[in-house]
Amino acid sequence: MGYIDATFKTFGITLKNLFRKPTTIEYPAVRRERAERIRASFALVHDANGEEKCIGCKFCEWICPSQVISIEATPKRESPVTGKKRGYASDFTLNLQACIICELCIQVCPEDAIIMTREQEQPGFCREDLVLTMDKLYANEKKTLAWHTGAALMEMQNPQRGQEKPAAPAAATPAAAATAAPAPTEDKPA
Amino acid sequence: MTPVALARAPWPDPYLNVDDYDPEADLMVINLGPQHPSTHGVFRVVLYLDGEIIIKAIPHPGYLHRGVEKLCEKLTYAQITPIVDKNDYVAPMLNEQAVNMAFEKMLGVEVPLRARYMRTILAEIQRVASHLLWLGTFAMDLGGALGGGTSVFMYCFRERESILNLFEDLTGCRFHYNTHTVGGQRHDIPAGWAAKVHQTLEAISQRIPEYETMLEHPIFVRRTKGVGVIDADLALELGLTGPLLRASGVDHDLRRDAPYHIYDQLKDLAVAVESEGDCMARYKVRVKELRESIRIARMLIDNVPEGPISGGRPIKQPGQFKAKGGQVYVGIETPRGELGTYLIAGGGKMGDTPYRLKIRPPSLHALACVPYVFPGHSLSDAVAILGSLDPIMGEVDR
Amino acid sequence: MTDTLEELMLNPVIRALFWGLVMVTAVMTVTAWTTWFERKFAGRMQSRMGPTLVGPAGLLQPLADAAKLLQKEDLIPDSADRFLFNLAPILTVGFALGVAAVVPFTPDILAADLDVGVLWLLALSGLMVFPTWLGSWASNNKYSLISAMRAVAQGISYEVPMVLAIMVPVIMTGTLSLSDIVADQVKNGWLIYRMPFTGFFAFLVFFLAGLAEANRIPFDIPEAESELVAGPTTEYTGMKFGLFYMAEYIHTLLSSAICAAVFFGGWDGPFAPGLHWMLAKSVLLFVFLTWVRWSFLRFRSDQLMDICWKYAVPATLALIPITALYTVWHGGAR
Repeated sequence: MGYIDATFKTFGITLKNLFRKPTTIEYPAVRRERAERIRASFALVHDANGEEKCIGCKFCEWICPSQVISIEATPKRESPVTGKKRGYASDFTLNLQACIICELCIQVCPEDAIIMTREQEQPGFCREDLVLTMDKLYANEKKTLAWHTGAALMEMQNPQRGQEKPAAPAAATPAAAATAAPAPTEDKPA
Repeated sequence: MTPVALARAPWPDPYLNVDDYDPEADLMVINLGPQHPSTHGVFRVVLYLDGEIIIKAIPHPGYLHRGVEKLCEKLTYAQITPIVDKNDYVAPMLNEQAVNMAFEKMLGVEVPLRARYMRTILAEIQRVASHLLWLGTFAMDLGGALGGGTSVFMYCFRERESILNLFEDLTGCRFHYNTHTVGGQRHDIPAGWAAKVHQTLEAISQRIPEYETMLEHPIFVRRTKGVGVIDADLALELGLTGPLLRASGVDHDLRRDAPYHIYDQLKDLAVAVESEGDCMARYKVRVKELRESIRIARMLIDNVPEGPISGGRPIKQPGQFKAKGGQVYVGIETPRGELGTYLIAGGGKMGDTPYRLKIRPPSLHALACVPYVFPGHSLSDAVAILGSLDPIMGEVDR
Repeated sequence: MTDTLEELMLNPVIRALFWGLVMVTAVMTVTAWTTWFERKFAGRMQSRMGPTLVGPAGLLQPLADAAKLLQKEDLIPDSADRFLFNLAPILTVGFALGVAAVVPFTPDILAADLDVGVLWLLALSGLMVFPTWLGSWASNNKYSLISAMRAVAQGISYEVPMVLAIMVPVIMTGTLSLSDIVADQVKNGWLIYRMPFTGFFAFLVFFLAGLAEANRIPFDIPEAESELVAGPTTEYTGMKFGLFYMAEYIHTLLSSAICAAVFFGGWDGPFAPGLHWMLAKSVLLFVFLTWVRWSFLRFRSDQLMDICWKYAVPATLALIPITALYTVWHGGAR
C-alpha cells in the first residue's frame, strides 16, 4: 500500500535530517562569517592628512530615495592642512530608522567620504540612537569599513571597463570625470 | 481562446446573494485574515460558511498598500530601483529587473552581454529561492505549525538561506539588493562566486527529492489532488500567469514566448506544464521549475562573458537619466507569473521621473480567482488553495 | 515507625492517596521535560538546535516556559462565559491526569488497581472531549467554535475504534484490569506478537486512535494552526493555555505508557527491574509519537472521518471475532 511505503520513506528523511549537523548557530556567541560586500551602517572618513573628506556637496542628500540624509554645508574656506579652498559639512545627519541601505549615497559620493561599515549590530534603546549624527558617523570610522567606496563602485560599473580606453576620456560628464581621474577637491558645489 | 462569459461559466457564482441561499441553512461569516497564520501577510477573505463548506468568498486586499506607484512618480529613474525591491519581497531581483528593463527601453540604453547573463542567472537563482519559500510555506499551510509541515518549511528555508548567502556575496545584501541599475548591474561577480553557485545549487538539487518524498505522501496527495481546480478558461479570463496558468494546461512562459535577457539563446528551456489545474498540479509545476532553474543557472554561470557590467553611465546624480516622453510596457516572468511594468515617461522638465509607473503584479491576478475557486471547498481546502496561489501581499497591494 | 508506615500503606485509601500524589507529581514533572525533549528532538530533526540557553542544553527551559506563562496577563474575552471558560483548562488537566491512576508501572507502583481499569481509561479518554468543547464554546470565538465541532466529531468517532481495538487484548487475556493484562503478558508473552497476531493490528489502530484523541499530527484537526489559528485555545492566555498544552502532553505520555503496558508487556523484561523496562518502553513509544508528529502533514477533517469509519472500525470489527474464535479454540483466555 502506498501509505506504508511513503510513511517509511518520510520517517527515513526526518531521521536523516536528525543526524545532520544543525545549520543554525547560537547567534550572539557564534557569528557567521559575513560576505565581504556586506552593507551595514555608515561612516564618514578622514583623508590621509587627517582632514574630513566630506565637502558638503549634498549629492548623497539628493540621491537618497528615502531622504534620510540631511547636510548643512559651510561656505568654502581654506583648508588648514593643504591650504586649498574647499567646502565642509557643518552638520551631517543620517537617520537609520528609514534608511533602506541601498548604497546609492556611497555610489554618488565624489570624495569617497561616506563609506559603509561591516558591523551588523546597531541596536539602541531609543529612536535617537538610530539617528547617526556627524559625531557618530566619524566615530564609526574606527569600525571595519567596507570595500566599496564611490570610486570603487564607479570603476566596477564603468561601461568602458575591460576595453581600450579612448584617447581623450570624455571629461564632459561629471560621472566620467569621476571615474577617469581622481576628482579634484576644489570645484564641487558647496 | 475565446473569452467566456463568467456568469454562465460552470464555476460557482462569485456574486451569490447569501440571502437567496438555502433559507434553512445556518450560515457563519468568518474573516480569514488580515491577521491569520495562513494568509501569507495581510490578505483578508470574508468567507460565508455553511457548516464547513464555503459558499461565498469575498477577497479584500489592500492592507499593505504603501503607495509605491505614486512614490515612483516622485523619484527619479536612478532612485526607483531600491524602492520597488519591496514589492515582491520574496523575489526582489525580478522587481528590479522589471523596472530597469522598462527604463532601459524608454531611455534606449543598451545592456552589455555580461550584464544580461548576470541578470538571467540572478533571475533563475531568485526563482529557486522563491519557489523554495513557497514550497515550505505551502507545506506549513497543509501540515501545521507544529508538525511535519514545519519540518519541510525549515528544510526549504535552510536551502533558501544558502541562496541568500550567494546574493550577499554578490551584492552585500540578502534581500533588498539594489544591484540593478539603468543599463546593467551595479555589482560585478566576485572571485569564486561561480564555484559557490555550483556548490549551493548542487546541494539543493540533491535535496529536492527529499522534499518530494516528504510531500508526496498520500496525506499530501489527498489534500491537494482535485482541490481548487482552475481550468484554462478561467485562468485566461482572470489573467492568471506563471505557474498557475501552466498548471491549468496553458503552455505559456514569457521566458520562451517573449524572450528577454538571454533567454532567446536558451533553446532547450523546458517549460513545465500540467493539465489538471489543481493544487497538486501547481505543486508539480513549481517543483519542475525549481529543477529547471537550477539547471539553467548552473549552465550559464560557466559561460558568463567578460566585459563591462553596465551600459549606461553609472549613477552619479538623481536626475541624470532624461527621457523624452512616451510609453513602454515590459513584462517578465517572475516566479509568480508575468510582472508587467507600464511606464509613461514625463518629457521635458519632468524627463527624469516617470509620469506614471504601473506595476502589474502577478499575485493580484492570482487572488482574483479566490471568489471563483473557494466556494464548494471546506475551510481546510481554502487554506491549501490560498497557499498554492503563492500570493505575495507586498506586490498585490504595492 | 516502619511498622506504622507499612500498616498505613495497607489501608487502601491511604495507599491510593499516596500513590496518587506520587503519580501526579511524577507525571507533571515528566511532562514538563517531555516538552523539552520534544522541542530538542524536533529542533534537531529540522536542522535547528532547539532550546540551548536556559541551563545546560536548555534543560531548564520548561521552568522558563512556566515562569513566562505565569507572568502573562490572564485575559478573558468580554463575551466569554467566564465560569466555563475557567473550568475548561482545569477539567482537561484533571481528566488527563485521571488516566494516570490506572497505568500499571510495576505491580506495586500503581495508584489504583481497578478491576475495570480499561473501562476507566476509555471513559476518561472519552471525557477529554468535554473540556475542549467547553473551552471553545465559552470563548465565543468562531474559529474556536469550528474547532470544537471538529474536536467533538473526531473525539467521539475515534472512541469507537479505540474501544474495539482494546477489546482484542481484553479477549486474549480475559481481564479488564490493566495490571492483570500485564501480568498475563509476563506469563504468556507480549500481546504484540502473540498468536493470532491480532494484537499487532489492534496496537496500530489503538495507536492511531490515541494520536487522534491527543490531537497530534496527522490528526490535529481541531487545532489546525494554519486554518483555525489556535483551535480551542485561541482565546486562552497564560497558564490557562499552559494547562491545555500540558494536558496534551500528559495525554500523549500516558497513551504511550498504556500502549507499552497493554501491548508491549509492561514491566516484563530481562536483566533490569520492571520499572525501568516500563519506563523505557513508554519513552520509546513517546519518541516514536514525536517522530510521527514532526514527519507528517495533516489530514482534512472529512478524510479523518473516512479513515476512522471506513478503515479503522471495520478492521477492528474483523479483529475481534478472529481473536475470539482463536481464543475459544485454544480453550479460552490463558
